[in-house]
Amino acid sequence: MTVTCPDLSVEIAGLHLQNPVMSASGTFGYGVEYEPYLDLSQLGAIVTKAVTLEPREGNPQPRVRETPAGMLNAIGLQNPGAEVFIDDKLPALQRFGVPVIVNISGRSVEEFARLAEMLSIDGVDALEVNISCPNVQEEGMTFGVDCDMTGRLTEAVCAATDLPVIVKLSPNVTDITVIARAAEQAGADALSLINTLLGMSIDVERRLPHLGNVTGGLSGPAVRPVAVRMIYEVARAVDLPLIGMGGVMNAGDALELILAGATGVAVGTANFVEPAAMHQVIDGIAAYCRRHDVARIADLVGAVAADQA
Amino acid sequence: MPRATAILRHREEVVSGHYLLTLDCPEVAKAAQPGQFVHLRIGDGTDPLLRRPFSILLAQPETGEVQILVRTVGRGTGIIATHDEGVAYDLLGPLGNGWEAPAGGEDVVLVAGGIGVAPLIFFADGLRLMERQPYVRSIFGAANQEALVCWTEFAARCDEFTAVTEDGSAGETGLVTDVLAPELERDRPQHVYACGPDGMLAAVARICRDAGVPCYVSMEQWMGCGVGACLGCAVPASAGGYVRVCADGPVFDATEIDWERMKRR
Ligand SMILES: Cc1cc2nc3c(=O)[nH]c(=O)nc-3n(C[C@H](O)[C@H](O)[C@H](O)COP(=O)(O)OP(=O)(O)OC[C@H]3O[C@@H](n4cnc5c(N)ncnc54)[C@H](O)[C@@H]3O)c2cc1C
Ligand SMILES: Cc1cc2nc3c(=O)[nH]c(=O)nc-3n(C[C@H](O)[C@H](O)[C@H](O)COP(=O)(O)O)c2cc1C
Ligand code: FES
Repeated sequence: MTVTCPDLSVEIAGLHLQNPVMSASGTFGYGVEYEPYLDLSQLGAIVTKAVTLEPREGNPQPRVRETPAGMLNAIGLQNPGAEVFIDDKLPALQRFGVPVIVNISGRSVEEFARLAEMLSIDGVDALEVNISCPNVQEEGMTFGVDCDMTGRLTEAVCAATDLPVIVKLSPNVTDITVIARAAEQAGADALSLINTLLGMSIDVERRLPHLGNVTGGLSGPAVRPVAVRMIYEVARAVDLPLIGMGGVMNAGDALELILAGATGVAVGTANFVEPAAMHQVIDGIAAYCRRHDVARIADLVGAVAADQA
Repeated sequence: MPRATAILRHREEVVSGHYLLTLDCPEVAKAAQPGQFVHLRIGDGTDPLLRRPFSILLAQPETGEVQILVRTVGRGTGIIATHDEGVAYDLLGPLGNGWEAPAGGEDVVLVAGGIGVAPLIFFADGLRLMERQPYVRSIFGAANQEALVCWTEFAARCDEFTAVTEDGSAGETGLVTDVLAPELERDRPQHVYACGPDGMLAAVARICRDAGVPCYVSMEQWMGCGVGACLGCAVPASAGGYVRVCADGPVFDATEIDWERMKRR
């Protein structure tokens, strides 16, 4: 049998995606910024920049810095707040006819729950819960490094919305499978991973941190092996569909995440380098399927033969 | 689509570590406005990873040529310095807003600091072609004579030209602001246009504000996407919050920028 027209569609948390490829939160604005460079209607889904309840100013400059095969960012969740997002940004996202996943971020469980309620409206197809942010009620400890906090947060968001809830895991933990299971038990419909790895770089001439925020999140090809390993581990620990991200530049990289256990793949930093990166990834996955006689991309999810290593 | 391939036609080291690149890129040559920039990919690997922004120094729609001036400061610009004629660059651009040309016939002052001269050469070139040419006075400052890169190209497009160097090796001794303040008093222009390091722009903005002269600055900031999506290139706004250099700028009315918060870095 020769596959000429592979089925690239996947199901994630009740969402039907025409292909597994979507934007990673915070790297694709609200979609429209990239309209001159690629046809957004061909994407699997669009994931928005983080939305918070109130507007956020963001961090002082400089906010980005290149590092070997990667970059550090400390944007600080700058966004106009949920109300402005709903009125000004969300309508334009409907034009492309692909699922819209809204990334939400908050300072407390209540804030997340309130946001989830506000965003449970037409035009939003799923929520991605960014748990890599500090909980002001727990002395600023990051939600996503603690099972209890992750569980409580996930429960509260699930109770506040009928939309599919995707919990986005932080890699800055000792054992990511423990957090993944906590989110699963609390009712998450899917998990996404990985968010950025905490990092720092220093201007040695001036003896100053490069970033205005001192530390920032590392992304890009440099983090890909960490992403692959964590997806592989989490896929074995939970029964939920996973959306993988971390350093995907091309189809081969995306397939690596899929073989490790990701059903969907998000592309982040690569958009900055190549605005049409997501198209290239989609085309490349189709070509791979033809070359290897794979009828359905879904058949490759978690298909790495680790036992034969 | 603001995207094109540019072929390196000519590379000239104008002074040590500064390269004037002439690129064959008809799309950008046609569309470019003074103050806009191109976001250039260097190679197709992952190191360097991100694109690098460069101001357009001149664009010739008739010949399809675009020029940029590159100062080697690090990895990406260091690689550009080794490129031979014929190299193809993938670029996004022209990006950003650029300077709005004055109505015509007025008196303007252009202030350049170092490599910041590049977009002002393009701007001055446009002013010369206006039906009612403004009277253009320019001030060009740098550390020393050598760092007054492309000064002849700049001076040739202005009615009056003053060079300033910190070490006195050419022109006046001091900073551009030492010349700008008395210049504004001597004869008040309708507009000031400036490009250079942040510290210089802050000082120029203050002098212009005190003199009541509108001032338009072109700013630099480290960039991610270059198209307004990542919010990486933010600079503090006087209205609170931040504005994006790549999409809201790089040209700003100097009163839009919060220079106090800018200074912290
Ligand atoms: C709108 C705009 C216009 C510019 N125009 C010019 C120009 O006409 N000529 C010129 O020589 N330079 C210009 N620059 C600065 C130029 O982009 C940087 O010098 C260059 O990116 C440095 O790259 P590198 O790899 O050699 O340095 P590295 O230090 O190795 O670069 C590491 C990272 O820092 C960034 N970076 C370093 N310095 C700067 C800087 N000053 N501004 C922005 N990002 C920086 C790089 O883009 C890269 O992501 C401009 C910058 C901006 C924002
Ligand atoms: C500039 C920038 C901004 C980001 N903003 C967010 C955000 O708002 N919310 C979030 O959950 N993740 C955010 N991320 C993380 C990405 O969505 C992604 O998880 C990470 O960058 C790894 O993927 P990549 O290597 O393909 O970029 C951001 C990443 C970058 C580079
Ligand atoms: S560089 Fe991404 S918003 Fe300006």
